[in-house]
Amino acid sequence: MKRFSTLLLAVLFVATGAGISMADTIKIGLMAPLTGSWASEGEEMKNIVNLLADEINANGGLLGQQIEVIAEDDGGDPRTASLAAQRLATQEVIAVIGTYGSSVTEASQAIYDDFSILQVANGSTAIRLTEKGLKYFFRTSPRDDEQGRVAAQTIKGLGFGKVAILHDNTSYAKGLAEETKGLLEKTSNSIVFFDALTPGERDYTAILTKMKAANPDVVFFTGYYPELGLILRQKMEMAWNVPFIGGDATNNPDLVKIAGAKAAEGYYFLSPPVPQDLAFAKSKDFLKAYKAKYGSYPGSIWAVLSGDGFLTITEGVKAAKTTDPEKLAEFLHAGTQKVSGLTGKIAFNTKGDRVGEVYRVYRIDAEGKFILQDK
Amino acid sequence: MEEFFQQLTNGLAVGGIYALIALGYTMVYGVLKLINFAHGDLFTLGAYLGLTLLTSLGLSGHLGTVLGLIVLAIMVTGFVGIAGALLERAAYRPLRDSHRLSAVVSALGASIFLQNTIMLIYGAKNYVYPLDILPRTTLHIFGLPVPLVRILILTASLLLMAGLYLFIQKTRLGTAIRAAAIDQGAAKLMGINVNQVIMIVFLVGPGLGGVAGLMVGLYYGQVNFTMGWVYGLKAFTAAILGGIGNIPGAMVGGLLLGVIEALGAAYISIAWKDAIAFCVLIVILIVRPTGILGERVADKI
Repeated sequence: MKRFSTLLLAVLFVATGAGISMADTIKIGLMAPLTGSWASEGEEMKNIVNLLADEINANGGLLGQQIEVIAEDDGGDPRTASLAAQRLATQEVIAVIGTYGSSVTEASQAIYDDFSILQVANGSTAIRLTEKGLKYFFRTSPRDDEQGRVAAQTIKGLGFGKVAILHDNTSYAKGLAEETKGLLEKTSNSIVFFDALTPGERDYTAILTKMKAANPDVVFFTGYYPELGLILRQKMEMAWNVPFIGGDATNNPDLVKIAGAKAAEGYYFLSPPVPQDLAFAKSKDFLKAYKAKYGSYPGSIWAVLSGDGFLTITEGVKAAKTTDPEKLAEFLHAGTQKVSGLTGKIAFNTKGDRVGEVYRVYRIDAEGKFILQDK
Repeated sequence: MEEFFQQLTNGLAVGGIYALIALGYTMVYGVLKLINFAHGDLFTLGAYLGLTLLTSLGLSGHLGTVLGLIVLAIMVTGFVGIAGALLERAAYRPLRDSHRLSAVVSALGASIFLQNTIMLIYGAKNYVYPLDILPRTTLHIFGLPVPLVRILILTASLLLMAGLYLFIQKTRLGTAIRAAAIDQGAAKLMGINVNQVIMIVFLVGPGLGGVAGLMVGLYYGQVNFTMGWVYGLKAFTAAILGGIGNIPGAMVGGLLLGVIEALGAAYISIAWKDAIAFCVLIVILIVRPTGILGERVADKI
């Protein structure tokens, strides 16, 4: 692994060296987790951005210049990310796409802002990132409070009154649970149960028995899929038929394996659409091209959102007819230009957050497949 | 009131498993005065071995469900017991005469070694036992819905514990184990092969832990390489609660811990469940430092 990363660094170094010698290119940085536990996501991000850049370059480039993508590894780690950001900042990139984890993005924000480089994050959903008033920061991913809003709306839309909310005390799950609770309490819904489980255990019957005594119409679970799988299974054994709705951390095929198709049937969850369910003309062409080049479809929506980050930058440059980051940032904040991206129309508000809804509702059918629900 | 009894059955089913794992801690401590921190990982090993044997041999297909599961349980006990004996040979015997702290550090190292070995062999993802090996019927006892499997798990745990108790109290080998636990030097002078006794303790204790892993896998379905940590910690607590080194104490401690957890979750707070269980432990240790049934107490660890 060490030898591999040394090799990678060497390749990057050579690529960078070559980049400086070519004068007439527009440089766009990609900061992604190419190593570490999110390496598979990072690999897809790199593939997607390279594919889109090749397409533009083959059609004459951007403002008559070729695009050069410079990829740096953030390792999924805040300290590595700040080094990656410094390396990118000194290579005259006009904009950077990335990155995935919120804390990793946060470590790089100030650096790009100091160097006046546009940053478009693709997987970082923590609310605080866009509450700092940074001029050059945007994101194509939704925010955590957006998910809470869609959750509250879905619970109401499905006609449930009494709601039980269960989280797992991680900052993400707890935040989402509290956000949704606040929104539901403003309306006619009543919260009859609000508590946290301990992740990593096997037996959740004590929690289920307690929840059952509160007699909710629906349970909203904001934690992760391994615990949920066990809960759904134990709920079925208790012969309790309450419907469950969950957050995007339960979007994983392993959920059905753990719970079994019978226990998982009827489970609803919120998530940005999985790549194959993207129904826009642009995304269909893109998925076809991706499969032709890399042999399979991209698995992660967060990687597809890095492609949206790339398109935000290139379409912005095209429309504003400049590569000056300051003018670009002003142009994007205005929100007038709607870029047609891989996950639908992209526009930003003054904070740099994406406008419009990304979350969809999925339901698990009798065979354990994730079925996209109509709005 | 119905909820109370429901929580009581929940707690007993979980507690039965804690008790079974706690036996392994307590037996080893009784003879060697050593907390075998790798015990939780031997439990994990049992869960993984059970899955591998189940899917590769197709036992329940050839022999029918009941006989197949019994054969599977015996195989898992055997394999995990052998792993335990090997562990003793490699990690603990060379340190028998050194300071007790060295053996504890060796136990922690063995735990990390086993956990990572399992991760490297099987991978870091979750594994799932095939569904519907066990009957998924739910019985109604006095109007309470209780899954049949939970009753079976509790019964199997109690039977194994009773068997172990008889083995220790009524057989020659059991007498030798008790003698070695009281005084190794004197036991040697009486002609007892202490090394052999310790080997047997490390066959039986981890074997029971392995069966507990198999039961957890069969019932809850999902196994992963870190699962031994939580169960190991809880069972260790149960062993201390009942009085470490004492076999009936481990059984009482395990069942009690399961029930305290379930009732704490039900009537105080779910998020504070573990805190409540550990508070009870602290209170019992203050009032009765040797644990509920214990005569001795861990004075160094």
